[in-house]
Amino acid sequence: MSEEYEPTIIAFCCNWCAYSAADLAGVSRMEYPANVRIIRLMCTGRVNPNFILKAFERGADGVLVSG
Amino acid sequence: MEAVEYLLDLAGIGRKRMKLCWVSAAEGQLFVDYVTQFSEQTQELGPFSPDEFKVPLAAVEQTLDSPRIRWLLGMSRQLTERENVYHEKVDPEEYKGLLHEAIEEEYEKAMVLEVIKEGPQLVREISGRIGLPKPRVSFWISQLRNTGQAAIEGYDKTTPKFVALAA
Repeated sequence: MSEEYEPTIIAFCCNWCAYSAADLAGVSRMEYPANVRIIRLMCTGRVNPNFILKAFERGADGVLVSG
Repeated sequence: MEAVEYLLDLAGIGRKRMKLCWVSAAEGQLFVDYVTQFSEQTQELGPFSPDEFKVPLAAVEQTLDSPRIRWLLGMSRQLTERENVYHEKVDPEEYKGLLHEAIEEEYEKAMVLEVIKEGPQLVREISGRIGLPKPRVSFWISQLRNTGQAAIEGYDKTTPKFVALAA
């Protein structure tokens, strides 16, 4: 590999908890890795194991579920 | 979550590629910490190749969809915190053992089924593909034939080849 490997991370976030936390992090200009793709859900309870598997199938290197 | 983690380990993907964490709306810094840490951890694990894990991933999905696992997962609190119809409470560790056993079995079966979905194959070939002993593969093939999910299609001399039937 020529360049340093950048993992693709899919994060499932609850609209009311982690998504707001991510928003807050953005507003307060805290820095965090740019390789995280956030998917907003109304609740982490909506996460079905199939979501996680589908993420891996489509090429995610890691899956974060946060609520 | 525990079941998914266990299956990811079984499939050789590893539970480290998944993480569950709780963050409240006020904890921006905590979220940043989790994400940074998880990102570093994933980076150490290296890239994930979905093509290489196509069969295990499909098998994991099938396992989680199987009635047996869904039933066991749905009954977890009933069995360990309340009691079953015989007024017996199941020890959480025993329940975990049972769940793992069921997951292993369903996963083996799903792997066999996924492999023969690709075309007619000998028991020997299936065994080689998924690294499961031949008697075990034969056992699952007979189970799958009983439930109408697999059938004989063609022979190599006198040895039958098996193929998956559409559900």
